[in-house]
Amino acid sequence: MPSPTLLVIDDEAQIRRVVRNAFKDAGARILEAATASQGIDLAAAERPDLIVLDLGLPDMPGVDVCREIRRWSVAPILVLSARHSDEEKVRLLDAGADDYVTKPFSTSELQARSRALLRRAQGRGPAGESRIEIGGLILDLTARSLTVDENPVHLTPIEWDLLREMMVNAGRTLTHQHLFGQVWRGRQFGNAQQYLRVYVAHLRRKIEVDSLRPRYIHTEPGVGYRFATAAEFAAQD
Amino acid sequence: MPRAPVWRWLVWGLVLAGVTLLLVQLRGRLDKAHITLVFLLVVLAGTLSGGRALGLVLGAISFLLFNWFLLPPYHTFALNDPLDWLVLVAFLIVSAVVAEILHRLRGEADAARRRAAEVDRFATLGAEALKVGRAEEALAAITDVVRAELELDRCRIHTSRVPDREGTSPADPLVTWTAEHGRVAILRADGTSRLTGTADLPEGRMDDALSVFLPLAVRESTIGVLELGARRPLDLSPAQLRFLTALAHYAALAVERARLEAEAGRIEVLQEADRLKDALLASVSHDLRTPLTTIKALAHEMAGGDERALAIEEEANRLNRMVANLLDLTRLKSGELGLHHEINAVDELIGALLQRVSGAFDGREITVRLEDGGTLLVGRFDLAQSLRILVNLVENAHKYSPAGTPVEIAVGRAGAFLSIAVADRGPGVPATEAGSIFEPFYRSPGALPDVGGAGLGLAIARQLARAQEGDVSYAARPGGGAIFTLTLPAAELPSE
Repeated sequence: MPSPTLLVIDDEAQIRRVVRNAFKDAGARILEAATASQGIDLAAAERPDLIVLDLGLPDMPGVDVCREIRRWSVAPILVLSARHSDEEKVRLLDAGADDYVTKPFSTSELQARSRALLRRAQGRGPAGESRIEIGGLILDLTARSLTVDENPVHLTPIEWDLLREMMVNAGRTLTHQHLFGQVWRGRQFGNAQQYLRVYVAHLRRKIEVDSLRPRYIHTEPGVGYRFATAAEFAAQD
Repeated sequence: MPRAPVWRWLVWGLVLAGVTLLLVQLRGRLDKAHITLVFLLVVLAGTLSGGRALGLVLGAISFLLFNWFLLPPYHTFALNDPLDWLVLVAFLIVSAVVAEILHRLRGEADAARRRAAEVDRFATLGAEALKVGRAEEALAAITDVVRAELELDRCRIHTSRVPDREGTSPADPLVTWTAEHGRVAILRADGTSRLTGTADLPEGRMDDALSVFLPLAVRESTIGVLELGARRPLDLSPAQLRFLTALAHYAALAVERARLEAEAGRIEVLQEADRLKDALLASVSHDLRTPLTTIKALAHEMAGGDERALAIEEEANRLNRMVANLLDLTRLKSGELGLHHEINAVDELIGALLQRVSGAFDGREITVRLEDGGTLLVGRFDLAQSLRILVNLVENAHKYSPAGTPVEIAVGRAGAFLSIAVADRGPGVPATEAGSIFEPFYRSPGALPDVGGAGLGLAIARQLARAQEGDVSYAARPGGGAIFTLTLPAAELPSE
C-alpha cells in the first residue's frame, strides 16, 4: 500500500499521539487538528485517505462534522466515541461515518479498523465489478450466484440482497436502518423490518462454518453489522 | 354566680322603704293593682341587680309592707276583705317566680358567654398554631398559652420519645413511660408517682399532682408528651380540663406537623444528594475513558513482550469495566437506559458473546450447547444489554472457576421464555448468601481478595434482565459449582 495520508481530528493531544504512534510504522503521513473547523479545513485542503474523528470536540457536534465532510469527500471516516450511546453511533454512521471504535480502544483494534477502511477505499475500482471474493465466499453479481468453499448455495431474494449489500460494503459498519433501506426498498413489506436480524441469522447458517462463531458477518451490538474484509478474514486464521 | 355585695342589699332596702313611704302618702288614691305593680317592679329590678336571693327577700318584705301599711285595716296584718289575701299571695308567688326565672335566664346567658369565650380562645389558638411559619414556633405558642391559662410554672412538649432539647433531665422516666404507653402519668408532691390507665386527665384534684404528663396522640400513635408542672398542687376545674384536652389535641397536631416538616426536608436533601451523586458518576465515568485510552495505548506501545506493560493494559480494561458498570447503574436508576426490545436470534446473542469473551480469559474453554436440536430460537429483547448480562455472567464464572474446567453455556427454551444458563465448577454460592448476591455492592465475605470488581455486576445484570421482562437467577450446580440463568421472553416466527 502506498503510504497513505491520515487526518486526526481530536482536541486531546494524548489521543492524537496514540493515533500517530499507531500508524508510525506504516509510514503514513499524519495530519492533526484540535478543533472541528480546523479539521474540516485540513480535510478540504489535503484530501486525506482516512479521517479519524473524535466525537467530543468542543466546537461542533460529531454528526455535523460527518455531514459537512461527506458533502464533498468520500474519504472513509473512523469515529472515536466515549460515553456515546448506540443511538448516537447509529446517527453518525447514517450521517456518513464508515466505522467507529469505542474508548478505551486497543491500538490493534484501531489499526485493524483503519486498515480495513483504507483497503476498501483503495479497492473501490470502477463501478460494475461483477465478482466479489472474500474468504471462501464468491458472490457473482452478474450470475446472481453464491458459492461457499466452492459449493453453490441457494439464497432467497432477500438473503441475496442482504449479502450483496454487506459484501459490497465489507469493512464498513452498516446500521440496521441502512440495511433495511437498501434491501427492502421497493419491496412490499408488512412488519418485515423487525425480522432483519432473523434473516441475518438464516444467512449466517448458510455461509458460516459455525453460526455461533461467525467469521464473515460480525455483529456490532445495538448498531448493526460489519462484513469482514478479505484481509481481515485471512488474519483470523 | 357570685353573691351580691352588702351595699347593694342596703341600697335596695332603702329603695323599698322610699317606695313604701311614697305609696303610704298616696294610698287614698291608689288601687291595689297599682300597688302590686309598683312592688313587682321593685322586686324585678332588685333581682336583676342583686340576684335571686335579693329578689326573694325583697318580695317577702314587700308582701309584709303591703299588708301592714297599704291594705285596710292599716298597721295590722288582719284584712277586712278576705279577697285581699288572694292579691297578697298572688303577689308573693309572682315575685318568687319572677326572681327564679330571671336567675335561670341569667345563668344560661353567663354559661353561653363563657362558652363563647372558650370557643374564641380555642379558635385563636388553633389559628396561631397553624399560621406561624415553623412548626416549632407553633409548639412554643401552644405551651405559652397553656402556661398562662392554667397559671402553671412549667409547660413543655417532649417529642420523639426523648425530652426536649433544653430539657434539664436527659430522660425523665415518666416522659418515657408516657410516650411508650400512651397513658397519663402523675408526679405527686410527696415524690411518688402514679401511672394511670387512661390517656385522658382525671377530673378534679389530682392527688396533689405537681407534674402531669399527658400523651399527645395522632391517629392512635403517641408522638409526644405534654408536661405540666406547678409549685403548688394542680387543681383543675372541668372548664380547665376541657381546655387542656383541646389544647393537647392542638399540640399533637403541631408535633405531627413539625415531624412531617422535618421529614419532608430530609427527603428533599436526600433526593438532591442522590441527583448530585448520579450526575457526578456520569461525568466522572465519561471523563475517565479518555485517559484510560491513552494509558492502554501507551502500555500497548511499550509492551513488546514486557509483562508489566501487559498488566497495565489489563488493569486499564478492568477500570473501564468498573466505570461502565457504575455508569449503567446510574442510568438504570434514572431510567435513561433506553432499551430496544427487538426480535433477535439467540444465535446472534451467543455469537456476539463468544466474540467478546474469546481469548479474553487465559485460554479458558467455553462450550455452548444448543437444546432443541439446533432450531433457530428467537426472542424479543435488547441485544446489546443482554450481551452485557451474559458477558458479566461468563466473566464471573471464569473468575471463580478452577483452572482447566470449562465454562458451559446451555441454550434452550422453556415455555414463553428463552433460557441461557452459564455453569461453572467454582465454589458456588453458600445458601445463606444466595439472596444477597444480586444486591449492589454485595461482596461475598469469603471472596478472594484478588478477584476484583465492585460487586456491581450481578445487581446490574438482574436489573437489566428485569427491564426486558426477563430475569437472572442462581441455582447450585449438581456436582459442585454455580449456574446463573438468564431468561428472556421468547418470540414466535411467522410461518414463511
